[in-house]
Amino acid sequence: MSIIFKDVHRYFGSKKVLTGVNMSVQPGEKLFVIGTSGVGKSVTIKHIIGLLKPTSGEVSVDGVRVDKVSEKELFTIRRKVAMVFQASALFDSLSLLENVMLPIRKHLKLKDAEVRKKAMALLDEVGMLKHAGLYPSEIGDGMRKRVAIARALSLDPAYVLFDEPTTGLDPVSARRVDSLISQLATERNAGCIIVSHDLVSIFSTATKIAMVYKGIIYKEGPIEDFHSSTDPVIRQFLSGSSSGPMETPGF
Amino acid sequence: MYNLIAKIGEGALNLCHETGGLLHLLFMVIKSLFPPRFDPGEFLRNLYKMGVKSVPIIILTAFFTGGIMVIQASVFVKRFGATSLVGWGAGYAVFREVGPILLGLMFSGRVGSNNTAELGTMVVTEQIDGLKALGIDPMQYLIVPRVLSMIIMLFLLTIIGDVIAIVGAALFGILIADVSFAAFWTSFSQNVHVADVVHGLIKAGVFGFIVSLTSCYAGMTVRGGAVGVGRAVNNAVVTAALGIVISDYFLTYSLS
Amino acid sequence: MTGKLYEMTANLGGFVTGIFAAALSLFSIAMRTFRGVFRFRGRAQGEVLKQMYLIGNRSLIFVTVTLGALGMVLVFQVCLQINKITGDQSQVGPEFIKGMIHAFVPILTAMMLATRVGAGIAAETGSMVVTEQIDALRMTGVDPVDFILVPRFIASVVMTFVLGVYAMVIVIVAGAFMAHSSFGVNYNVFFVFDKVTGGDLFIGSLKLIVHGGAIPIVAGYCGLTTGRGSEGVGNATTRAVINSSLAVIIIDFIISGVGLLTVQKI
Repeated sequence: MSIIFKDVHRYFGSKKVLTGVNMSVQPGEKLFVIGTSGVGKSVTIKHIIGLLKPTSGEVSVDGVRVDKVSEKELFTIRRKVAMVFQASALFDSLSLLENVMLPIRKHLKLKDAEVRKKAMALLDEVGMLKHAGLYPSEIGDGMRKRVAIARALSLDPAYVLFDEPTTGLDPVSARRVDSLISQLATERNAGCIIVSHDLVSIFSTATKIAMVYKGIIYKEGPIEDFHSSTDPVIRQFLSGSSSGPMETPGF
Repeated sequence: MYNLIAKIGEGALNLCHETGGLLHLLFMVIKSLFPPRFDPGEFLRNLYKMGVKSVPIIILTAFFTGGIMVIQASVFVKRFGATSLVGWGAGYAVFREVGPILLGLMFSGRVGSNNTAELGTMVVTEQIDGLKALGIDPMQYLIVPRVLSMIIMLFLLTIIGDVIAIVGAALFGILIADVSFAAFWTSFSQNVHVADVVHGLIKAGVFGFIVSLTSCYAGMTVRGGAVGVGRAVNNAVVTAALGIVISDYFLTYSLS
Repeated sequence: MTGKLYEMTANLGGFVTGIFAAALSLFSIAMRTFRGVFRFRGRAQGEVLKQMYLIGNRSLIFVTVTLGALGMVLVFQVCLQINKITGDQSQVGPEFIKGMIHAFVPILTAMMLATRVGAGIAAETGSMVVTEQIDALRMTGVDPVDFILVPRFIASVVMTFVLGVYAMVIVIVAGAFMAHSSFGVNYNVFFVFDKVTGGDLFIGSLKLIVHGGAIPIVAGYCGLTTGRGSEGVGNATTRAVINSSLAVIIIDFIISGVGLLTVQKI
C-alpha cells in the first residue's frame, strides 16, 4: 500500500525536467516535495494521477502501474488519489456546494438528498458550510483552497496531493491549511504529498521530505535528517539564503 | 527562396496538426455518443445558456438582414418595375443563403467564442485537470453536451431568425422601398417554397456542428494563460468562419 | 412585494445607466481616436505599416477563400432560380457585378474582417490590460487610445478598403467561373460593367471605409474595458466579435437605406 516512483524520467522536448526520480509515500505520511521554483515539483506529482506520463520509469499506486493503464482505468485511480490544485481549480459555473457535490454525484450511487448531506458535511469539516451557496469568484483565495480540499476529500481518497497549498495565502489562512492537512493524515489516515517551498509549513507539518534538485530527488528522509544535514545545498534552501552553491533555474 | 519553402512547409505541417486534432476530437465525440454517455444536467444548462441568451442577438441580426435584403432587392427591382418580385427575392435569399450564413457567423461570435473562452479559462486555471483528477471524463461532462447543444440551438435559432428576417423585410419594404405588404406577401408566399427553408435549415445544422467542433478544439488546446485564451478565441472564430463559408459552398452544390 | 418592485426598478435603472455609460465610453474612445488621427504626425508610421501588414496581408488568404466561395455560391443560387423562371442568363453577369459592388462585397468583407481583425485587436489590447501594460502606459503620460487604437484605426480604414477592392475582383472572377462552368454563361456576357453607376461605386466605397473605421473602435473599446481575472481577455474578445459584427450589419443597413433613397434613386 503505497505510491512509488522508480527512476522516473520526464522530458519536454529537449528540456530534461526529471532525470531519475525515486520516492515513496505510505498512508498517514505527510511527504513534502520541496525545491526551488520551476525545478519540476508539480510535474512530479502530476504523474501520480496520470495527468502527465513519464518518458521512462515507473509510477505505481498501490501496486497498479499508472504509466501503463488506459485513460479509462486511470479514472479508478483518480478516485483513490485526490488532488488540490495550486489555484484551487474550482469550477466557476458551479456554486461551492455544487463543486463538492459533483464528484459524489458522478461516482457514488446515492440519492440527491444524501449527496447534498455528504457535501455539506465536508464543507462543515473545512469550516465553509455557511458560504455553501456562494460562487468561487465571490470568495477569497484561502476560502477557495478550503473548498478545494473539501472537494478532494469527497470520494474518501487514500492519498491527497497538494500543489503549493499555501502559496499566495496570508499567514493565518496558510496555517489553517497546514492544520487541515495534518488533520486528514491523522484522522483519515490518508497519505499526503505536498509540493511546497513554504518553510513554515514544511517544519510544522512534514513527517518526511523529498528535495528535488537538478532533475532527481536530491535527498529523501524524515524531517530530522534535514535538520541535522550538513549538505551545503540543503542548508542553503532551508535557511533561505541567497548565497550558496544552489543553482536556481531562471535566475 | 529557402525561407519561403520553409514557411510553406511549416504552414502545411501546422494545417495537418490542426486537422488531425479536430478529427481526433470528432472521433472522441462520436465515441461518447454510441452508446450516449454524457451529463444530462450540463446538456440542459448549455441548451438554456446557448439558446435563450442568443435570442436577442439573433433577432437583431435577422431583423436588419431582412431590411438589407429588401433594400438590395428593390434597387434591382425598381429599374425593371417588377415590384412583385421583391418578396420572392428577399425570401429566397434569406432562407437559402444570407440567413444561415449571417446567423451562423453571429452564433459563432456569440456562442462559439464564448465557449472557447470558457473552456480555455478552464484549461489555464487547471479546471480541466481538476475534472480528470476527480475521475470525471471532460469529454462526457463538458464537450459532448456543448457540441449537441450548439447543433440543436443554431438549428432552432435559424428558424426564429428566418421568421424575424421576413418580418423585417416586409416592414422595411413598406417603409423604404415602396412595396405594399399585400404585394410582398403574394410574391413571397407564391414563390418561396418549403424546400428553400429546408435547404437553409440543413445548412444551419451543419454550421452548428462546425462552430461547436472548432470552438471546443480551440478552447481545449489553449496555452499561455489569459493571453492565450484571447488568442484562442480569435483563432476559433476565424476557423469557424472559414468552415462555414467553405461548407456552404459544398452544401449548396449537393443540396441542389 | 415592495422589495421585489424596488429590486426590479433598481435592476432596470442599472441596466439603463449601464447602456448609457457604455455608449458614452464608446463615444469618448471614438472621439479620441479621430482627434488622434488628425494630430497624427507620422511618428508612429512604422506602427501603422506593421498594422497594415497584420490586418491586410495576413487576411489575404482568409478573404480570398471566404469571398471566393461566397461569390460562387451566390451566382449558383441566382442562376438556379433564373433557370426555373426565364432561363435567360444574359443579365446575370451585369446585375451580379452591380449587386456585389454596392451591397454584398462591403458587408461580407467587413463581417469577415470583424471576425479576424476585431477579435485580434480585442485580444491584444485585453492582454495589455490584464498584464497592466495599459496602466504602465498611463503612468508614462501616454493616452492608450493614441498609442494603440490610432495606428490600428488608420491601418484598418486603408486595408479594409484595399481588401474590399481585392475581394470585388475575387468575387466577380469566382462568380464568372461558376456561371461559365455550371450554367454555360460566356465570359464576355458575364463581364459587363455598364450597369454599374457612380452611385454604386460611391455607396460601396463609403460602406467599406465606415466599416473599416467601426471595427477597430468597437473592438478597441471591448479590449480596453477588459475585466480582471483569467476569463477577462476571453470575454473581451467574444464581445468584440459580436459587437463589431453587429455594428457592421447596422451601419450597412443605414447606408443602404439612405443610399436607396438618395444616390441610387431612379
